[in-house]
Amino acid sequence: MLLEFELNGKQTRIEAEPTLRALDLIRDVLGLTGTKEGCGRGECGACTILVDGQPVNSCLLYAAKLQGRSVTTIEGLTTEDGSKELHPLQQAFVSEGAMQCGFCTPGMILSAKSLLDRNPDPDREAIEEALSGNLCRCTGYGKIVKAVQRAAAGGGGGAAADQPGGSG
Amino acid sequence: MSTENLRVVGRGIPKVDALELVTGRAKFAGDLKFPGMLYGYARRAGIPAGKIRSIDCSAALGLPGVSAVLTSEDIPGPNIIGILPPFDQPVLASQVVRYEGESLALAVADSREAAKRAAAAVRVTIDPLEPILDIDTALKPDSRRIHPDGNITFSKKLIKGDVEKGFAAAEVVVENTYHTSFQEHAYLEPETVVAVPGGDGRVTVYASCQSPFHIRGHIAANLNLPASRVKVVQAYTGGSFGGKDDVATEIGCLAAVAAVKLQKPVMIAHERGESIIGSNLRHAARIHYRTAGLKDGTILARQAKIYLDGGAYASESPFVTMKALIHAAGPYHVPNVLVECTAVYTNKTYSGAFRGFGVPQVTFASESQLDELAAELNMDPLQLRRNNGLQAGQATATGQVFEKSVGLLQTIDRIAERREQIPAAAPGEERWLYGRGYSCLFQGISNGAEGIDVVGASVQVSQDGSVLVGVGLTDMGQGSRTVFAQIAAEVLGVTVDRITVRQVDTDSVHDSGPTVASRSTTVGGMAVYKAAGEVKASLVKMASLMLKCGEEQVRLEENFAVLTDNPEVRIPLPEVATAAYWTGFPLMHLTFSRAPDAQFDHETHQGNIYIAYNFGTHLMDLRIDRLTGRVEVLRHLAAHDVGRAVNPLGVEGQVEGGALIGFGMAHLERIEHEGGCIQNANFSDYGVPSIKDRLPTETIIVEDHNPTGPYGAKGVGEPPVAGTAAVFANAVAAATGVRFTRLPIRREDILAALEEQ
Repeated sequence: MLLEFELNGKQTRIEAEPTLRALDLIRDVLGLTGTKEGCGRGECGACTILVDGQPVNSCLLYAAKLQGRSVTTIEGLTTEDGSKELHPLQQAFVSEGAMQCGFCTPGMILSAKSLLDRNPDPDREAIEEALSGNLCRCTGYGKIVKAVQRAAAGGGGGAAADQPGGSG
Repeated sequence: MSTENLRVVGRGIPKVDALELVTGRAKFAGDLKFPGMLYGYARRAGIPAGKIRSIDCSAALGLPGVSAVLTSEDIPGPNIIGILPPFDQPVLASQVVRYEGESLALAVADSREAAKRAAAAVRVTIDPLEPILDIDTALKPDSRRIHPDGNITFSKKLIKGDVEKGFAAAEVVVENTYHTSFQEHAYLEPETVVAVPGGDGRVTVYASCQSPFHIRGHIAANLNLPASRVKVVQAYTGGSFGGKDDVATEIGCLAAVAAVKLQKPVMIAHERGESIIGSNLRHAARIHYRTAGLKDGTILARQAKIYLDGGAYASESPFVTMKALIHAAGPYHVPNVLVECTAVYTNKTYSGAFRGFGVPQVTFASESQLDELAAELNMDPLQLRRNNGLQAGQATATGQVFEKSVGLLQTIDRIAERREQIPAAAPGEERWLYGRGYSCLFQGISNGAEGIDVVGASVQVSQDGSVLVGVGLTDMGQGSRTVFAQIAAEVLGVTVDRITVRQVDTDSVHDSGPTVASRSTTVGGMAVYKAAGEVKASLVKMASLMLKCGEEQVRLEENFAVLTDNPEVRIPLPEVATAAYWTGFPLMHLTFSRAPDAQFDHETHQGNIYIAYNFGTHLMDLRIDRLTGRVEVLRHLAAHDVGRAVNPLGVEGQVEGGALIGFGMAHLERIEHEGGCIQNANFSDYGVPSIKDRLPTETIIVEDHNPTGPYGAKGVGEPPVAGTAAVFANAVAAATGVRFTRLPIRREDILAALEEQ
């Protein structure tokens, strides 16, 4: 089927199998490999994209569902305002050391972006809630929370992380 | 080496590859594309034990898009992989099934889906055998032999002093048996490789991996080609933690065999379930432990008998056995020690390397014993640890004496200072049980008892003054490229932005062994330091000619050669480098750094094992909901002696990340087997910690300079895992009054124990 949707601010028309996963459309057909596949079951969030601003696991989404929507991938963050500057979240992740292997990072940043677009001043619980679908095995998450707080605070000083509570 | 006035080493700078990672531009193996690329998918046994009667590929070969289905007969070489002797794992099994994930055939097709369909269409007939699923069954003399030489993979002893004499003199003895479970690495990127046949008789394998040289050797052997025909390039690797060694070798061999046979690029990308079932886990352990002491708290003797469930193949079991053995007595001065450690085969997914490498298991047992001893003696558990804590000049359990960089007591004292400052949380209401736990740990740095420890590094300076660094050890996310960049920048007086550290490419640098044992910063960093020093000599010599001064009067800093006596007189480094080139001074150096060899008795494990130890002390405050068993960690302090923090931001990252893996091991994660098959081979059922499970870890850096590391540094990758697993168990015991002897201590376990009280 002919798919027409907005991808990272640009109108995109492409012929694709409707049963193709959105993840495969983005990675294999459109060549945007910043979106990662970690589990294929919607459990890890590495494949997170934004559809009309909402974070979605693209491994669980048919490509056909992108019809007429606005899609943002990690590649869209550096170019969305026409500049090559890093998005404040990306800058904050760099400064806080909020990534190690970086495989979860694109999805993590997109989930965080969706949060900050909705709620520019999230508290710790809101950050944890928004990122609870994005697994990271390297960092222990502390620096990720700090990075989101720093970006929320305007990319400047960076708010101190509240005390989290590990729980089971 | 001078550690004065450091400009770059010691600064918490962002990772050198941060930009590629936050923008999604970094290319992981699965992001690579080559014209005509095919995809491989393995047909696995699906049952834990059996005899293979037949493997029929005809139906699979007839499916659309299928190029080939490989079986063991298609492998030109010996069809064997493994990390250490006994190399005992087939690439593709043809006779015996030893675990459910055993690969029997590889389907190769023009899409991953077509390959998967073809793999499912391979007709396999297996006569099932009764699987051997636990240590005791495996050890019974009349049990079926999983491998020809029996079911003991490796068994060793450590003997120091006379443990019986120690127990005879004891005024108090504590004794218990501890269990730990299998743990999955759960790196976010599943294992992936791409093999690309060259037109020159060579094959290049791009791999998400930990030890490219190891992979090269096995691929060459299984292709029946000289190693010089195989090139392994590490792609960006999405976490490894010990886990992308054996399995990367397995799929690397499979992809390479298929690629050479079909003369097309072949990618194998594991799905998550394959990643859990078909690659190694952390050993489950059973540890019987007893400790003898005097009433004043002096530890006289420690004795441990350790069994490790190694699963179907040896993998790293021999070395994990040794590491558990060497670390079992803990970071204490103990005159009499006897440890026996045995790894056994069972018909389960094999166990191997996982961050900590046997040390988290024994540290949990050893540190539980310390608390049990403290309770018996009515002593402050931290003071008990301090009284027995290893100091410079005292012998470890292997009899090794370090004169320097034994920072254990400093980590204890830093924790002791903090606990005075922050009182333990007071019970606010009846519902909560509060507890504070402590743990001490050490972790050997370098290959140590596992053999020679050498690392290759190259440093080249271009005429523009920029620097290219290559090291034979991999960055899997831990940040070693950044550490290497900082060391090169420090030596050469250039800014970090002028330095590029390549991913590992086996063509370009010496075989540096595996990237393991928290050795990258220490041994790898030393190699970079040496190579950079050689190039620096050329630059300084050139600058001294240009400045018409003695070489000792030249200093390299901030991309300039500076006259020491008059820093206003300076020449931009690119001019110096260009002049050096045109004068014919070498601007590239390839070096080979060798850590001091281990020397020890193989029967008793007495001798010098490691070039250094990382020492640590943890404190954890938590509270437990009596009604639900739910645990809230309120405070987690992790003090580690890292010699020198080359990059404090990176050290924090290692401690925080390692801590959550230790917490997962202690509280959340457990591989569930039924009949030898893993039941929770996915993220949700397995329970990887999410952001809601994160710990409030606060890293306390202690720097007791290590003479064997660059600028005094010691590695820190593994140690936080053991410290956190052990401290959690002790904090739960303090809160509940119940000594849990089995990890993980899950919420339901706590609730059940509270209900029993």
